[in-house]
Amino acid sequence: MSILQTVLVFVGIPLGVTALLALAVYGRTTTHRDRYRPGRSWDHPAVWYVPHPSALAELPARPALPAGSAEQEPPRLGGASGEW
Amino acid sequence: MVSGEVVSHTEEEIEALEAARDVGPSDLAAMPGAFNPRQLARIDEALTLASRETGLLFSVYVGGFGRPDGSRAFAEKLINRLDIPATGGVLVAVSPGERELHIVTSPAAQRRLPNRVCALAALGMRAAFSGGDLTGGIVTGLRMLADAAGSVSR
Repeated sequence: MSILQTVLVFVGIPLGVTALLALAVYGRTTTHRDRYRPGRSWDHPAVWYVPHPSALAELPARPALPAGSAEQEPPRLGGASGEW
Repeated sequence: MVSGEVVSHTEEEIEALEAARDVGPSDLAAMPGAFNPRQLARIDEALTLASRETGLLFSVYVGGFGRPDGSRAFAEKLINRLDIPATGGVLVAVSPGERELHIVTSPAAQRRLPNRVCALAALGMRAAFSGGDLTGGIVTGLRMLADAAGSVSR
């Protein structure tokens, strides 16, 4: 083998393999930098989504009961909260 | 919004948010920001399915809450801005920066979604969020709430 061939085989091939591996490992993450990671800052604009109106429009109009005086529901909001 | 930054939402900001409130899958795909089109499609599907199945108006907010002490109040302010049908409404509000989430149910929805059910859904969402899966957490929460609320009689 000439010197050029030796260099190509023992330097070129390992370098090529290393480059391929590096690309496979880091290639995608650089394009997905937006991925959320807990603890990192969140500097995207706030978004608020509601379902498409057709999702609720299909509901049949139910006959309304005459207003009763017995049960007055307090207009209080419920739910739950959490942190992570 | 930087994590921990103290931000207060003014009425104008809430109104701007309300104006930007997004409807439908076609609009969702065009929205810039945190989610890619595939994730938006998942959220939209979960949102629409949950609303269609239960007859409750489900809504998802992702963004800052403002003052740390007023985050719950902000979420409640948001749900009051929604045009909630007689069957009731549910708001799922997530702040990835503050690592906080709120599920708010309207009075009419509370019979079908008691607070302990919401707490369970919040737990499921927290598990996904702490693993970095924002979309998965939102979808999980919506599904859990929809399953618990049951389908509306047609």
